[in-house]
Amino acid sequence: MTTPATTFREFLTVLEDAGALTEIETPVSWDLEASAITMAANAADERIPVFEFVEGNGRAARLVGDPYRGPRGREFDHLARAFDLPKPARQSGPAYYDQLIDRLEEQREPTVVEPETAPCKEVVRTRAAENTDASAIGSANTNTDTANPDANLLEFPWPYIHQQDGGRYATLTTLVAPDPDGEWGRWSRHRAMIHGESRASVLFLAGEQLPNRYYYEYERRGEAMPVALTLGAGPAVTAASEMWIPVGRSEATFAGGLQESPAELVPCETNDLRVPASAELVIEGRILPEERLDEGPFGDYFGYVNGPRRSMPVLAVDAITHRDRPYLPFCVEGSGVGYASNSTSSMQVAAAGPDATLGLRAAGYDVAMAAPWPYTERTVWVIATDRPYPGALHELANFIFTTWGMLHIDCFVFVDREVNPLDSRAVLEALALHADPATDFHQFGVERMPKVPLNIYQTPDEKGSAAVGTSKSKTAKAYIDALSEGDRPTQTIGDPKERRRARDLLAEAGVAGVAAEVDAMGEPHSALDQEMDATQHPQHHQNR
Amino acid sequence: MTAFRKHLEFLHRTDDCRTLFRPADCSPQVIAAEGLRAGGPAVEMEPGTDGEGTPTATTVTLASGVYGGIDQSRGQRTTDSRHRQRYPWTRLGIGLGIDQDPAYTDVLESLLALGERRDERDVTYVERAADATAQDLRELGLPTPPDEAWPRFTLGLLSIGTDRGSYWAPIHGTVLDGNTIRARVPTAVAERDLLETGTAVTIALGVPPEALAATHLLAITDRLETPIEDRGVGATVPVIPTAGGVVPSSAEVVIETTVADRQPATQSEKREFWERLDEGTTLTLESDAIFTRENPVVPFTPLGVPLSDDLQLAALSLSATLFDRVNSYWGVSPVDWLLLPAEGRLGLCIVASEILYAGFEWQLANLLFSLSDCFDKVLVVDTEISPRNLGRALGDSWVKAHPSRDWLVSEPEAPSARMPAYGRNGAGDGNRGEDGDSDTGARLYVDATWDPRWTDEFIAPQVSFTESYPPEIRTAVHDSWAAFGFDRRPLIDRERDP
Repeated sequence: MTTPATTFREFLTVLEDAGALTEIETPVSWDLEASAITMAANAADERIPVFEFVEGNGRAARLVGDPYRGPRGREFDHLARAFDLPKPARQSGPAYYDQLIDRLEEQREPTVVEPETAPCKEVVRTRAAENTDASAIGSANTNTDTANPDANLLEFPWPYIHQQDGGRYATLTTLVAPDPDGEWGRWSRHRAMIHGESRASVLFLAGEQLPNRYYYEYERRGEAMPVALTLGAGPAVTAASEMWIPVGRSEATFAGGLQESPAELVPCETNDLRVPASAELVIEGRILPEERLDEGPFGDYFGYVNGPRRSMPVLAVDAITHRDRPYLPFCVEGSGVGYASNSTSSMQVAAAGPDATLGLRAAGYDVAMAAPWPYTERTVWVIATDRPYPGALHELANFIFTTWGMLHIDCFVFVDREVNPLDSRAVLEALALHADPATDFHQFGVERMPKVPLNIYQTPDEKGSAAVGTSKSKTAKAYIDALSEGDRPTQTIGDPKERRRARDLLAEAGVAGVAAEVDAMGEPHSALDQEMDATQHPQHHQNR
Repeated sequence: MTAFRKHLEFLHRTDDCRTLFRPADCSPQVIAAEGLRAGGPAVEMEPGTDGEGTPTATTVTLASGVYGGIDQSRGQRTTDSRHRQRYPWTRLGIGLGIDQDPAYTDVLESLLALGERRDERDVTYVERAADATAQDLRELGLPTPPDEAWPRFTLGLLSIGTDRGSYWAPIHGTVLDGNTIRARVPTAVAERDLLETGTAVTIALGVPPEALAATHLLAITDRLETPIEDRGVGATVPVIPTAGGVVPSSAEVVIETTVADRQPATQSEKREFWERLDEGTTLTLESDAIFTRENPVVPFTPLGVPLSDDLQLAALSLSATLFDRVNSYWGVSPVDWLLLPAEGRLGLCIVASEILYAGFEWQLANLLFSLSDCFDKVLVVDTEISPRNLGRALGDSWVKAHPSRDWLVSEPEAPSARMPAYGRNGAGDGNRGEDGDSDTGARLYVDATWDPRWTDEFIAPQVSFTESYPPEIRTAVHDSWAAFGFDRRPLIDRERDP
């Protein structure tokens, strides 16, 4: 009996045990080379590279390229292993969603550990007093490395990811920020472009919870927002940071549910926040008011390099704490489009999707599954559902566009609840055959909704200065009704028993992949569907 | 020319075919359908010893997925043995003798060549390979689909001999008893007084890929009126005269028949996919003689399921035809490739084209709508997208096309498309009424190309291995790839259509 991996190092062990890791001892440069190797590995569905020796940095810190990328077609598999989910959850997307949703429903309060026992405090460095705002410094610390007191971002081998990028980036982060509604803080993922020893610009897009808090509360009061940017904080922390957790709840409790044990937190050195104790690296600091630095261009999740440079809020570094020889995970953004996956696309499938499915059900929508379209990292989602009453899809789409879908998602494709949204063939078939251009393509051309300036279809003029992280011009947020009217073409023949026998025979004959085909299209595609009858499903229209 | 058994041998040689014994407790059609659903290799089913009846020398080996079977929407998986790259056109391309990794447009052009008119006949006659005799159609051991009463054959070739030459068409059907076949053939050949009651016609199974592909191409383009001796396929495939017309000499099974009934009373018949594009009709045929090769092997496909061989043959044939038409229309050839994904069952057309001038994408999409009534959706992508990367093309429809401006729906006054399922009566009948009249509908085209009016500063560079890294780093990655502990050749090498 194994237990879920709770730290990033345990997660690497899980990958190693699965034969999904390669440790590269050859010195590799952070200057494009580590990213090039990672992009090639992503494209080839290869092992995840761990760069043990980074040129110019020696063995002081290590890089890990897209550690959360799952195997193609089963992007959830590595997280399923990490969370020690039962085997069906490693083979079938719907089964994984069911299992993960169960975990998310069993949230656990975190615990606070002493700094002396926290791995992330193995090395502690603060900035010299003249570089910090003393009023922002909170709890005292005991582990400060007085021999080398200055925390310095440039000591770490931040990768230069694409040659068109505006700088070096920290990408696979969890940003911890204050929560006025709870004691554990709020977590979300924000990339940071390194500008020097003590400064970085952080991608803050208004519309998301933490940026909203910064732009419309802290900055308006002229206050800096204390934050901690963590890297390598373990799979449950990273997954929870990818989720849209409603106000009043805490990502930390969801992380505890995912790993079936409380997330261990430790107080920061220079502010009142608490951070995951096992994090490989923690950058404590403040998002300054009324200060901006360039951010971008960047090869982004669209698969293109967006520009022009934007002005984004400034992270001023107060302290850096880390493990010995920390692992710095990074994501080669933009390499998770088309067939290839990366950490972002896999996390969207394996974390954001189950969370969204649960969230929509909790809101009263009868959703079988909500998952991202497989060929883009964030732009389109597929939702398997019914149409319980006229106008239901319109209401559902625009409900999401007002919440977690407002910035990055441009379109929802609704398919029959029997269609597995992760089955790209079935989704393509639904779009091709069941979406009527005359009646089923909605809100295309209605240019009324906000859009992140990271997109590539708006001109620089339309993006404008992006003062709070949204384009000057609006866009359309659309949805497509690709539900059938009961006339879905034949998906399978024979009865389930005969099909199972056929799959066994094929597997014996060496047909790879067929044994994993456990969620038959055209049949109820999850245990949940089989076990719950219509009356057990939450019905939105009944709650109105 | 590639004899069918040679084609199968090539698939084995490229590790793209698996063999199993045909079980008694599972329909071959179900095995084939599950194999297609897994996007796996072709499957060969040898006669089993525990099946119904004892196999004889004339009992067929069955092969499924030999012309299609690749789910391109999924991309390549780690489960692929030896990590070979395969595409929906790979198996047919091998069968057409192009290459073991054929370029997509080479497959389209080879298909087109099979249907080209020839001014001079260049027919090769070779002795018939099928020299064994079966007494009874049931001896062939053709498979019976689940929930059906009679054995079924698919992917057959019908030959009708006349004074002008032989006419070939696709044929499929059921074996009602030891001598009687109920078959579906294109109405075009049945109505041209070629199939009077008592006419001798021949069915060939297990014919060369060139011959079978030509029948599907000619059927869906309504070009069955010319003897095959006057088409490219006639100069490609060696033939032998039979009681009907000439058939490929290498055919695995040859059944000489007589037309018994031109309008038998039938219940609804299952259809091969060419019948969605070309009207079919039912005939009753009486078998006069049955010849087989030793240990005959014939292709078959389950009907109506995703990714079936008949669907892929129709998809590639129609793609080839449209590719040729649009590149012959404006005096230049702006289209790099054109693909009707079998995953979309021909309800969607993807075309990669140079945009010659602002508004050209509108002309291109509407030309395609006027050339084919199959689909109601056209996606136009830039030529930098390879046909091998369907995922990237589908991704571009969302990130490159502006949802306010580049998703363009026509007024609902266009003739309705044939393939989409919405608003029709009964699954599988297309979007048209039983009387063949068209309803009207709307058409959508998505412009996922850069606006030719945009200046370079507006054009976002692609994130890709080539564009994101300088040559010296790319070379270093390639050179050290194995030393890094990776097993597979970097996919980046293989994304472009050669």
